Amino acid sequence: MRKRGLIIIWVCLTASLVCGAQQSFVPTPPVTEDARPVPVLSGGVAFIPTWDAGQPTLVSIVSPIVLVPLGSNFILESRGAFEGDFQRRNGDSGDFTGAVNKSLDYLQLDYIGNRYVAVTAGRFLTPFNIFNERLYPNWIRNTQTDPLIFPIGTGSDNGVMLRGGIALNQRVTLNYATYFSALSTASHLESERHAGMRAGVFLPRERLEIGASIQHQLQDERLNRYGFHMQWQPIRIPFDLRSEGTYSRVEGNGFWIEGAFRFRNANATPLRHTQVVLRTQVFHTGSAVGVNPDLPDSDTKRTEFGVNYYLNDGWKALASYGRTFTAAGDSNIWTVGMTYRFVLPLGPRQ
Amino acid sequence: MNLAQRVSIVLIVGAASLAFAGSAAKPPERISPSPTISGNELNEQWMIEGEQRFRTNCGRCHQPPRKLSPREMAIAVRQMRVRAMLTEDDMKYILYYVTH
Repeated sequence: MRKRGLIIIWVCLTASLVCGAQQSFVPTPPVTEDARPVPVLSGGVAFIPTWDAGQPTLVSIVSPIVLVPLGSNFILESRGAFEGDFQRRNGDSGDFTGAVNKSLDYLQLDYIGNRYVAVTAGRFLTPFNIFNERLYPNWIRNTQTDPLIFPIGTGSDNGVMLRGGIALNQRVTLNYATYFSALSTASHLESERHAGMRAGVFLPRERLEIGASIQHQLQDERLNRYGFHMQWQPIRIPFDLRSEGTYSRVEGNGFWIEGAFRFRNANATPLRHTQVVLRTQVFHTGSAVGVNPDLPDSDTKRTEFGVNYYLNDGWKALASYGRTFTAAGDSNIWTVGMTYRFVLPLGPRQ
Repeated sequence: MNLAQRVSIVLIVGAASLAFAGSAAKPPERISPSPTISGNELNEQWMIEGEQRFRTNCGRCHQPPRKLSPREMAIAVRQMRVRAMLTEDDMKYILYYVTH
């Protein structure tokens, strides 16, 4: 017992020394008085007409975000979404019509506890892989259509979450998110009862992140979902490489990989605003087709090529072409449109 | 896996390989300020380090935002502290960089 106590004291002392050494190595910049946070209304607007297998859909999205700082360690953040997928009244003729779907993506209170952990409570985006949390907004994503595997393990949760990013040293940063969600069938606040975790390793010098996710459903089939993600942005070349894979025995499995190159070093100004994107993906159905209605009902492969043009002040123009391959037949998918990101202060700017 | 997907994967991985070859040429220098340097030098080093951390962390997902006021930036960076899981030091450097 005494030996175990000595070991614990030694481990604590060593950890304290390591942490102390890290904290005193670099004097970090001060936070000045004029950088006191102010509430803001932010978000994105997108208009993306899409032709999938010849069927036109006018995808229109308004996605407002409200950020409210509370004290020095809290933040209240919320995002809603109003999406209208307008299609022709008679299939391939007539005017465009359809309902506007409203959803509350998140409404969460974050508490930044210390340098290792932040606590989140409320409704939050499920941290399964990275697309849902980081890449979902239209003004961020390089390819506008959702990945085929996206419906597996993602969406919104109602519960609590612990998360954080920890610099082990100047070369390695760990990040993690662990969460529990309760079942909810309330309209616009739906969530599944499950628990899960995502962990990643980020190498700042290489700008490479690799991570994995696991989620255990605590209802219905009580199934497990597994995911992995990779994100790499080379230092000297304006190239983004992103990839995700997901496995669920019941729902299905698949992956996507996307490369995007921005002509940042081109001589011509218009070319410097241009980005070309190539994404390919695969989805295989699981043991129970239809258990997740948002997934394709047969094995599907899709390859897409797109061009994004970044205008000033948050505007982005885009166009893409893709080919979908299924056992039922192949089809084309076209998109063209614009996205816009806005930020409006809800208090004094200065 | 069909031909289009094979070609796409080869293109993406090929582009990634080229990018890796280019990026491996010269890793960025890390700033380790000495406690005896002047205030101006320290400010400059904070800016350099802040820009580097901004590009490393924020640039992974999105393009640089348009110019915002320091107070607007402060709330955005605090949100990213949680959402993008920035470390505490990353947050301080990035906030310093985007508000100066």
